Amino acid sequence: MASDTPVLGIRDLHAGIDDTPILRGIDLEIPAGEIHAIMGRNGSGKTTTANIIMGHPDFEVSEGSVELNGEDLLDMEPWERARAGVFLSFQYPQAVPGLQVGNFLRKSVAAIRGEDAAKGTEFRKRLKEAMEELDIDRSFLGRYVNDGFSGGEKKRFEILQLMLLRPKLAILDETDSGLDIDGIRTVSKGINAAVRGTDSGALIITHYSRILEHVQPDKVHVLIKGRIVKSGGPELALELEERGYDWLEEEAETTA
Amino acid sequence: MNRVKIMDAASLYKSLGEPDRADHLWRYTPWKRVHPSGDLGEIPNAVAPKLTLSCLDEDVALLGISIEEGIVGAEVLPESDEVTSSFIRAAAGDSVYTLRVENNFVASAPIVLDIDTGDSPCALHLALDVGRHCEFELITQVSGAAPWTGFLRSGRIGDGSILNDVVIGHTDSGTLLRVDSIAIGRDAQVRVGTVSSGSDRTKADLRYKMGETGGHLNVLGSILSADKMHLDHHVEIHHDAPETFSRLDWHSACGGNSRTVGTGMLRVAKGARGADAGQLFHNLLLSEKAEADSIPELEVSEHDVVGCGHGTANGPVDEDQMFYLESRGFDTEEARDALIAAFLNSTLVEMGSDTLHHWLAEHLQDELADLSS
Repeated sequence: MASDTPVLGIRDLHAGIDDTPILRGIDLEIPAGEIHAIMGRNGSGKTTTANIIMGHPDFEVSEGSVELNGEDLLDMEPWERARAGVFLSFQYPQAVPGLQVGNFLRKSVAAIRGEDAAKGTEFRKRLKEAMEELDIDRSFLGRYVNDGFSGGEKKRFEILQLMLLRPKLAILDETDSGLDIDGIRTVSKGINAAVRGTDSGALIITHYSRILEHVQPDKVHVLIKGRIVKSGGPELALELEERGYDWLEEEAETTA
Repeated sequence: MNRVKIMDAASLYKSLGEPDRADHLWRYTPWKRVHPSGDLGEIPNAVAPKLTLSCLDEDVALLGISIEEGIVGAEVLPESDEVTSSFIRAAAGDSVYTLRVENNFVASAPIVLDIDTGDSPCALHLALDVGRHCEFELITQVSGAAPWTGFLRSGRIGDGSILNDVVIGHTDSGTLLRVDSIAIGRDAQVRVGTVSSGSDRTKADLRYKMGETGGHLNVLGSILSADKMHLDHHVEIHHDAPETFSRLDWHSACGGNSRTVGTGMLRVAKGARGADAGQLFHNLLLSEKAEADSIPELEVSEHDVVGCGHGTANGPVDEDQMFYLESRGFDTEEARDALIAAFLNSTLVEMGSDTLHHWLAEHLQDELADLSS
């Protein structure tokens, strides 16, 4: 693999659901160690992009490619993508009543990082440290996955998984929604620790610039009607906060 | 008057005739399908199973709990079905035992009653004679290779006792006919769990009488069917006394060409003021050919109740849950097995202590592995 191969490489991605096009030609590259953000209004295609990278079966890709470190992801099953190093922190994580958090984490770590990584004192130590960093109580391990969790607990639990699974690419879909300012600070610490100074990359999907104050993105992309219409540095997020999206929509319409 | 008292079991059975399929109990699994030979006049010479009583913690001495031959004072409830109970009693002959538990018996670890059916038609009438203010957990495991097994439990749980009582149907194949006919004492707190994953065919008729004030009952089921299994459980709870509480929560995971049936009947008698009763059936359909029927029914004759409700929900494995687990590295089969286990675990965990649950969960994992292989 060439050293300049991006962690995530998306080229001319067209995709949709039930013959309704949603993504209309997305190009995006995230180099190793970088954090990028996608911002946009509801319905612009942000969550669809995340789901397509993870392999959600409801979405169909009609054109383009998605690669992880140069490896084609589109032919892989979701679990193969996870084992290859893709992690999606869900906007609305699924509850699984009856499946205990402790068992779930062990099985997930074993599947993605190997059996040895999921047992022994090293795993328990890492789990304890990560839970402390995220201010998650030990009793969490005996609860059922996302069952009866508050919005904030769900998001912390997603970041706990991110910290244990150590993916090559972390996609964080509105991880900041449902979190108070302390929660945003805590999970941001987890995101920075998982990406900065590593050969991993991250894609943060958000409506707000709040989380981006704590996780300084290297690049910000604006998605409108399934296309990236503008990319820039972190200052773009602040500009969007001040000016909204109307001016970009107008620009997009005149160049379409 | 209860006819059991004035007529021996075989004569009583022969006097009854074939039960009506319009009856709630027989709607989905007619008596002919669970009779050992299908010749309804025939009563088999069933053998007695081998019974072994032990404790999950070997260091706990079994003082105050014992299995004794014969039955004293644990008659079948008049609310029970006469066909099934009289047939098992007739087939059991001398295979009658009492699980006697002395007043104030307390065990720190679950007690295990192993019932080994052997490989011939087998029948057992077991009376539960649980004294006052006992506190313990009982796992009854029915296993073996008998082509037909009849298992009748009658008896009473003593006043103020706390009992977690789990019966596991774990026979290799064949037919299991199981009947519970149990009275819940005053202020007793009882959980009755059923874990069913063996036998080709199961017909269970489980009836509990809340005839004394303050009784509290949870009936829980974790049912796993595969291949061509046919597992039919009928649960009746009779609230006859005031201030009684019951919940039925039944989870069936149904795969292959199998069929599960869950029928429930809640009866709240006139005078059972303050009764609080509910029943819920959940079915997880694992294949297109699998079939699950749940029919909860209520008969409420008292107006002054806290609540009486019932519900049922059927569905396949949730695609969003599948995607969530797959996104965490579970392959498709692992994700599916984990969701089935989670579904069954939701009721399993309610059956008793952490120790009991751990033991049951391991048992269930083994069964899932068997079904997947």
